[in-house]
Order: sequence, then structure tokens, then C-alpha cells
Amino acid sequence: MIWIIAWKNIWRNKVRSLVVVMAIAFGLFGGVFSSAVLKGTGDQRVREAVSRETSHIQIHNPAYIEDNDVRYVIDGNRETLITVLDTIKVIEAWSPRVKFMAMAGSANAGTGVVVIGIDPDKEQRVTEIHSLICDSCGSWFKKGRGMSVVIGQALAKKLKVHLNSKIVLTFQDMQGNLTGGAFRICGIYRTNNSVFDEMNVLVNRTDIIPLLTADPGACHEIAIRLTEPDMADPVQLTLKNLFPSMLVQDWKEIDPLLGMLNDFMDLWLYLFMGIILLALGFGIINTMLMAILERTRELGMLAAIGMNKQRIFILIMLESVFLSLTGGVIGIIMGVLLTWYTNHTGINLGSLTEGFEKIGYNPILYPSLDLIFFINLTIMVVAAGILASIYPARRALKLRPAEAIRNE
Amino acid sequence: MSIITIEELKKSYRDSEVAVQALNGINLTFDQGEFAAVVGPSGSGKTTLLNMVGGLDKPDSGSILIGEVDVTKLSSRKLIDFRLKNIGFVFQSYNLIPVLTAFENVEFIMNLQGVKREERKKRSVELLEAVGLGDRIHSRPSKLSGGQQQRVAVARSLASRPRFILADEPTANLDSVSTRNLLEIMEKLNHEEKITFIFSTHDQRVVNKAHRIIVLEDGKVVKDEVKITSEIR
Repeated sequence: MIWIIAWKNIWRNKVRSLVVVMAIAFGLFGGVFSSAVLKGTGDQRVREAVSRETSHIQIHNPAYIEDNDVRYVIDGNRETLITVLDTIKVIEAWSPRVKFMAMAGSANAGTGVVVIGIDPDKEQRVTEIHSLICDSCGSWFKKGRGMSVVIGQALAKKLKVHLNSKIVLTFQDMQGNLTGGAFRICGIYRTNNSVFDEMNVLVNRTDIIPLLTADPGACHEIAIRLTEPDMADPVQLTLKNLFPSMLVQDWKEIDPLLGMLNDFMDLWLYLFMGIILLALGFGIINTMLMAILERTRELGMLAAIGMNKQRIFILIMLESVFLSLTGGVIGIIMGVLLTWYTNHTGINLGSLTEGFEKIGYNPILYPSLDLIFFINLTIMVVAAGILASIYPARRALKLRPAEAIRNE
Repeated sequence: MSIITIEELKKSYRDSEVAVQALNGINLTFDQGEFAAVVGPSGSGKTTLLNMVGGLDKPDSGSILIGEVDVTKLSSRKLIDFRLKNIGFVFQSYNLIPVLTAFENVEFIMNLQGVKREERKKRSVELLEAVGLGDRIHSRPSKLSGGQQQRVAVARSLASRPRFILADEPTANLDSVSTRNLLEIMEKLNHEEKITFIFSTHDQRVVNKAHRIIVLEDGKVVKDEVKITSEIR
């Protein structure tokens, strides 16, 4: 029955309650949607970076990470490594790469790039670069075309080259001699990360190995894609144990900034919502204090007829929780609806495209939030209601029935 | 047999810098089935006395035995529970819960006592019928007249099956018709159910109906008179 009284009590002063309910609703609506935009953007960045840049796990010769010297290929028992990679079920695909710094030059300009020598068939099962070549921008590697290269749109612009243009890649071979070759551009890709596009060129490993004078199986990096991203830790541990001489890193270690973005995003969102709820909590405290002031006589009567302090506390607390929960639910529903809608349509920040792409973000935002966030947010709303009720409830409990009853 | 025994009850208040002796050595006993009015001028200590007997305030000294229990010695937690089980209150300003119907107001106190739902329901209807509000059980206080609200308050005070009912100026806000109705109901309950009523009042109409009149002045009992009429018992 206390529940019913509490619920009815909050609607005794409809205008006042509606004002605080709407304040909570719009506060949470704004908070939820902002969180969804942040989370969606962060997740999108992580997803794209993993699928286009880092993959889930990479294996290197530790010395290669230190020096980036072309001589530090993955040594040891490569055959055993390949067998193990083919055996682990959660490994969806893996791709061996040779990877080194080079100078890329066209007739018009030159710049430093990272050359990634790949097995095209294996690579397209690990990364999505092949799918980022538009219809008019050429195609992924095809046999019998001679020495081909796939470059990013930003690099093409910098070198002032087009599809089918030739660029010259100059680099050091395994013996430290300067070498190079001319490659015809067979495809131009475009990710949402213009820095990545400007830096990375892809060539066929079979074309580059002879120029490097490396052995045919040589690779500096093995990129691994998992069926379950959450399995990165156990797979990494297994590979570390089996191949202690190799450096096995997951995507968070490969790109620490990305890892931090992923790990701290949730914490940041909860902190953000917590601050909003703290501010709204003061509104609830104020409303509840006013309600108690107005109902001094009634609270005195309740104590007089035998309602104990615990029940009075629960009554005040329930009123506060109902206020916060009513506003919270409305705000969360509004936030969910807008998140759901914009998740389908996307938010196109076209005018900010260049800026977004320079930091690797997609200018079309797709807000999204996990179900667990809404569950936790609802718990936080209830907790805020409870916390906001403590001070008003204590005030109510201090009332002396004999005096309160005679209050005008 | 006495249900209330008050001995040497004293209570003083500090009003600004001046100490006011609200009760100055009260000795009284009340028996089961009494219909008593405590009268006296403003500031004579009527309400203070009722507050003490009702366990709403603590005396400076003296004792109040209700049955075997000295309520002045109870902790505030035990006192609340004691009030719930033993004392019914009727206040001057009705003090009903405005968001509940007449029925729910009466039911609420039994809910606090942990009475089962079916029994609560049955007794609430019976009590409201007893006070002549059988047709208004689902009305909220705002839809009832002052007299009707006070009758709901009487029904509520009876709901917990208390040993006695304390009524502080119950007719102060009522017109003469409502006052007459209310007093008739209370008198009937007193006569038929042997329910003890103790009023504090200024109202001559209440005094006229009371069977015992206790006059307070300056915190002391100056007169304690039992009316012997053929109507009594």
C-alpha cells in the first residue's frame, strides 16, 4: 500500500512533478543520445580499424617491431606456425605480409610509404581493403597483369597519379642494397582514415619477394582474423606459449590508442551519465523537500497513528525513485528511439569529412548502445532516486509528531 | 478497571526565554468505556496532556500507565508500535491521507498492523457503515464534507481496535449538524461497543455529551466531575 500512496503522492502537485520529470527525461534523453553517438563512433572506429588496418592479432619478429628493418622476418619454424594457425578453429583467416618502408615516386611527386606485400587471396579474407576499391577505381590484384599496386586515394592525390598510372617504389633489399621497381596502379582504395590511405600501398608478395632478395616464404607480419573477436586473448596466449620467440600482439597492443578508446569508452559514458544524474538529483532533492514541507502535518499524522520511521523513509524514498524512474524511462525511451532511427539513417557530418578522415573517423556517424548500458543506466536512475531521497527523508524523520500535526 | 493511570505528570516548555509549565502534577485515571472531555482555556495543557497520553510527547516527570505499560519509559521505536496497536487518534483537522479514498484511509492503519487483506476489507466497510458513510467509501477526502471527513477519521481510529481513542478538538472545524452527527456516532460506539473516548475540547456541545468532565487550568486539574444521568450506562 505504501507503493500506491507514494505513486499517488507524486501526482498531488502535477505541475511541479511534471517539471522535474521532464527535466530528468530531457537530461537523460540528451545523455543517452550523446552516449550513443560517442559509443557508435568509437565502436565504428574500432571495427573499421580492426577490419582494415590491424586485424585481431599480429605476429612479428620482436626485432622487427624495434627496428622496422627489412631483414627481421619471422624466423623459426614457419611450417609449424602455419599448421597451428590452420588448426585453431576460431582463426577465420590469416595473411602473411612483407612490410617495409619505401619511397614512392611518380613523375610529379614522391613520398615515403609503407609497402605491404600480400597474398591477395589470403589478404582479402583478413582485411576489407579489397572491398574499398570503388567501381571506377580499378580492382583488386589479378593474375597476369605484371607488377601491380593498390594505393590509397589520398596517396594518389599526393602523387598526382590515376588508375593505370605507374609509380616507382624504391627501398632497401635484404642485403641493404637500394632496389626498386615500377608498379602499375590497378586499384585505388579509400578508407575513412586519410592518413592510412596516404601511407599504405599494397603489392603482390610474389612480385616484391624477388626484389627484396628474400626467400619465397619470408614475411614480416602475419595478420590473423578471428571468428570471435572476444577470443583474441586466449588465442594470443596460446600462440605466445607455442612460439615464445615471436611477438604475438592483439589489436589493442598494436594500436594502443584504439585499445584505450575501446576500454575507456564505457567508463567515460557511465561517468558522463553519472554527472547528468548528479545534476538531476539536486532537482529531485529540491522537489522532495518542497513536498515534505507541504506535508508536514500529514507526515506527523502518519507517525502519530503508528507508521514507523522505516516505513516513512521508504515512502519518501519510493516517491523520489518514482519521480526519477518516470523521467528516466521517458528519457531513455526517447533516447533509444532517436538512437535506433539515426542508427539506420546515419548522421552525415559532410562538412566535417576532411577533419574526421584525418583522425581516422567515418564522417557518417551511426549511434549505437549496448543493452547492458540501458540496464545499468536504469539502475543508476533508481540509485540516483534513492540517494536524492536520503536528505529529504532524514528531514521528514526529524519531525516531531506532536508539533507536525499542529503545523498549518 | 483503569486502562490509563496518570501520576504526577509534569511538562514544561521553553517559550523564548520563559519556561512555561504546561502540566504541573496531573493525577488521573480513566476506566474502560469512559466518554470524557478535558476542557479548559487555551494554554491550560489540554493538548499537552493528550499528547502525553498518546505517546506523542514525553513528560519531564511522572508516569502514564496504559494497562501495565508505562509509555513514558518506552523508546521512540517501541512507542510508535505501541500507538499503532493501542491508541486511536482523531485530530482537529481530520488529517486523512488526501490521495486515498475513505475506504483506503481506514484500511491503511490495518495494513500497517499487518492485518490480512480480506479482514481489512471487511472491517473497513463495516466501520464506514457504522459512521454512516457506507455509500461514500470510494470517495476521496476532497469530495467529502468536513463532518464526513471527521467521521472517516473516527472510523480510521477504530480500525486498529485500540484500547481508547484520543480526540483533540474533533469538532472545532465542524458546523452544528456535522458536530451533532459525529457526537451521536461516537456516543453510540461508546455505548454499544464500550469504546473509550477522551476529548480535549472547547466545544460546549461536546462537553454536554461527555459523561466525565476534567477541567484543566495552568497545567493542573481543577475539577474532575462525573455526570450522573439516566442515559449513562
